[in-house]
Amino acid sequence: MDESALKFRIIRNVIFLLAAIVILWSIKLQLFEGQKYFRLSEENRIRKKYVEAPRGKILDRHGIEIANTRPGFYVSVVRATIDTNTLHNLSRILDMEVSTIIEKSKIEKNPYNLVKIAHDISYEQLSLIEESIEAFSGIEVGVEPLRNYPYGELLFHQIGYVGEITSEELEKDGSYFIGDYIGKMGLEQYYENILRGTPGVEYVEVDARGKEVGQITEKRSVPPIPGEDLRTAIDIVLTESVAVYLEPFERAACVCLNPRDGAIKVLYSKPGFDPNLFTHGLQRIQWDILHKDPSAPMYNRATMSCYPPGSTFKPFIALAALDAKIITDSKRFEPCFGEYRLGRRPFKCWKPHGSLNLTDAIIYSCDIYFYQLGSYTGIDTIYERTNRIGFGKKTGIDLPNEKDGILPDRKWLEKHYGHNWTRGHIFNLSIGQGDILVTPVQLACAYTIFVNEGKIPIPHIIEKNDTTYFTTGMSHDALETVRTALAGVVARGTGTLARVPNTEVCGKTGTSQNPHGEDHSLFVGFAPASDPEILVCLVVENAGHGGSIAAPIAGKIIRAYLSSSNNDTLFAHE
Amino acid sequence: MFKKIDFTIIGAAIVLAVFGVMMIYSTANVELMIRQTIWLIFSILAAIIFSRISPRIWADLSPVIYLASIILIFGILLKTDVYPKRWIRFGDFSLQPSEFAKFATILILANFLATKKKLQSFSDMMIPIAIAAVPCLLIFIEPDLGAAQIFLPILIIMSYWGGMSGTKIFILFSPIISAAASFSIYVWAAYMVLLLVFLYFRKQLTDLTYGLVSNSLVGLIMPLAWNSLKIYQQKRIIAFFSPWIDPQGMSWQIIQSKIAIGSGRFFGKGFLSGTQKKLEFLPERHTDFIFSCVGEEFGLVGIVIVVTIYVYLLYRLLRLAKETRNRFSSILVSGVLTWLAYQTFINIGVTMGLLPVTGVPLPFVSYGGSALLSCFMAIGVCLSVSRTKMAY
Repeated sequence: MDESALKFRIIRNVIFLLAAIVILWSIKLQLFEGQKYFRLSEENRIRKKYVEAPRGKILDRHGIEIANTRPGFYVSVVRATIDTNTLHNLSRILDMEVSTIIEKSKIEKNPYNLVKIAHDISYEQLSLIEESIEAFSGIEVGVEPLRNYPYGELLFHQIGYVGEITSEELEKDGSYFIGDYIGKMGLEQYYENILRGTPGVEYVEVDARGKEVGQITEKRSVPPIPGEDLRTAIDIVLTESVAVYLEPFERAACVCLNPRDGAIKVLYSKPGFDPNLFTHGLQRIQWDILHKDPSAPMYNRATMSCYPPGSTFKPFIALAALDAKIITDSKRFEPCFGEYRLGRRPFKCWKPHGSLNLTDAIIYSCDIYFYQLGSYTGIDTIYERTNRIGFGKKTGIDLPNEKDGILPDRKWLEKHYGHNWTRGHIFNLSIGQGDILVTPVQLACAYTIFVNEGKIPIPHIIEKNDTTYFTTGMSHDALETVRTALAGVVARGTGTLARVPNTEVCGKTGTSQNPHGEDHSLFVGFAPASDPEILVCLVVENAGHGGSIAAPIAGKIIRAYLSSSNNDTLFAHE
Repeated sequence: MFKKIDFTIIGAAIVLAVFGVMMIYSTANVELMIRQTIWLIFSILAAIIFSRISPRIWADLSPVIYLASIILIFGILLKTDVYPKRWIRFGDFSLQPSEFAKFATILILANFLATKKKLQSFSDMMIPIAIAAVPCLLIFIEPDLGAAQIFLPILIIMSYWGGMSGTKIFILFSPIISAAASFSIYVWAAYMVLLLVFLYFRKQLTDLTYGLVSNSLVGLIMPLAWNSLKIYQQKRIIAFFSPWIDPQGMSWQIIQSKIAIGSGRFFGKGFLSGTQKKLEFLPERHTDFIFSCVGEEFGLVGIVIVVTIYVYLLYRLLRLAKETRNRFSSILVSGVLTWLAYQTFINIGVTMGLLPVTGVPLPFVSYGGSALLSCFMAIGVCLSVSRTKMAY
């Protein structure tokens, strides 16, 4: 074969080879991977748009909106088409670093898609942007529904707030998307699934710049299902009164409920925080301050703070002893001279009471009587009975992150003090000090036992008719004895400042010692005694004696409730 | 008068060009389609006129044409302040001198290589290399990497067809492999060892000396040259090796182009029905990426047909090169063949994600008057060769 024929063949074969490569590669792309690329081209063309479902409102017992939505303006950018000039102007108008804008815009993978970078901008910012929108490129302004809390700080701890979903939350629940809002605390978190609704889906045809160019007819869009409204038992008027009464104090918690069915009317914790501020997204610094604040404004004191109950625990010691038939009402111990010695250790009473029976010991809150009663009754009986009443465990209120509190038993004491634990520990427990810790809502629920013949309702913030109760099995006589004593506390004992004209109030004061300063002032009471409608449990931190601080405020709250409940009947007849 | 003309060559070219006009309508708009149609009419006229001119005259004119095209490129490099410096504007129309430089370089290379009866020694190759290097470098400076690279395969195949042995060519151009290997010191060292063994067994002192010296020098200089590339050029090369890492950047084009072709599947989405191009996901879809739309709208069937037409055209040219008795004509046709084949393969390879993105138009099909005209001018010359192929 001559040279040119050989070269002819070689070049010809190279051409065939190259053509074969092209054809084989097309077969790979178009036949073997054709479906994948077809899907990708459809995804390119069709944008699945999630249409946010309007979040359900939260209503108080009269139907007043305590959480709703309002329109807010947002700014979104297209990373691929935004220019430096626009970026710098935007940075100036929104008071946001250029680097922050770029960083936020990178959440979206496709550089041609819109990414929201600022929510709820002011009218001033909006008009500044609108003025020069012609000169800007790659930005868009729109309206979105934003969560609004008309009562702000007042209901912060019960309602909670909504915020943009975090990556951890995203991992837990695949039905959410980047940028979605999710309930972060309180009812917003607890009832997220009811409030949220189901997002709808819309299919639109888009071009490479993410601009919508038409509707898609092949795929049917699904309209969003709005979230359900949440009707609560919250009494916003009463809550406002509570806030006013607690104005002079820095830190306090108040639970008001209907002792018959456990419907929460007021759940107030102070200090709070305006949840509307979360809607814009807090700046890092604000967030840090909020979390490092020693007065813990993010903390719902009513369900998450644990306090020694102090003397408010005494009725339950009495109840345990009576129910176990260890004593009768007439039982007297050594008289109170203001001090009781256990070995060489003195245990004090706040005043010498002399010789008392059980009822008077409750009415005048004699510590020395209860030291002796507690140790006479024994740790096991106390633990068994009070645990049944609900101490040391969650009440089951419909709020996230409720705390258990602590109710020490023999094992607990052994674990913490070894075998050296003494009667002194029982002494302390008997007057609600030392190791025992309760949450205000737990204490409030425990007191409903005197209203419901030994049954305790599971507290609930949402309105419902079928309250669940648990039975404690306490005897009628024991309950009646203690309840009578509680009426005496307010009528003539330590709680006289909680008196309400024309209405008999039952209650108990408490002064809870704490190592961090002044005593906490406690009062738990319910009224009217004959047919209780409201139960108030109040803790005022570092305020002093329960009888002098908490009792009068609780009295005012009961009064405020009773005067407005007349109006309630009007509502009911409408 | 047309008797001896190989009509299949111009026929295939016109079929491709008409198809191209259709695709431009599909991917762009009526205005561009009309422009391209006007260019096509002029191009066909040019081809017919050129086919009447004897190859002898082309050989004589080649230095003049070559010089003119070099001056044109020089002109835009000096004058225009538009970047990149690729076009000369004449009112509404613009010319891309680099397209004509390809044609001119093929003419003068054929003329020069034909004067040497045998291409045996490296010294025979010095002038051809210089001839190809001048336009290549000037276009590289424009910068137009896509147009600059074409000169190398043209030079290689024309000298191969002109009589140089494959081994010689390999040794001559081996520094290019050295350059490619120099990105990794280990790859380069391994390559140098293999080269040394190969040269040793050839037992030719000149080959050995040339091979070693040139390869070592290039291997050392290359890393410096890499740094002198424009950042976007570096990025293009880097992006090719990592297409899914940076979907926003250069590889966006490759991914979108692959989606377009792949989504066409067997029969395609139908003429004018491509969604990738309609919604503008495809960049440069009427020029460098027009083949993606062919794949999208006509599917595998369309690709096979188009590739078959190209292969047929190239095969006819190759036959022509073989049958032509005149040495100049034969080498000339081999140059045209290489030009068309190389650009076709590079362009299609790029749209399919086989090769890095270099802006090379698809011959006859892509939008662009200069490219179309210069291709038809080359086809015209080949027709004149076919008319006279029996003459020495």
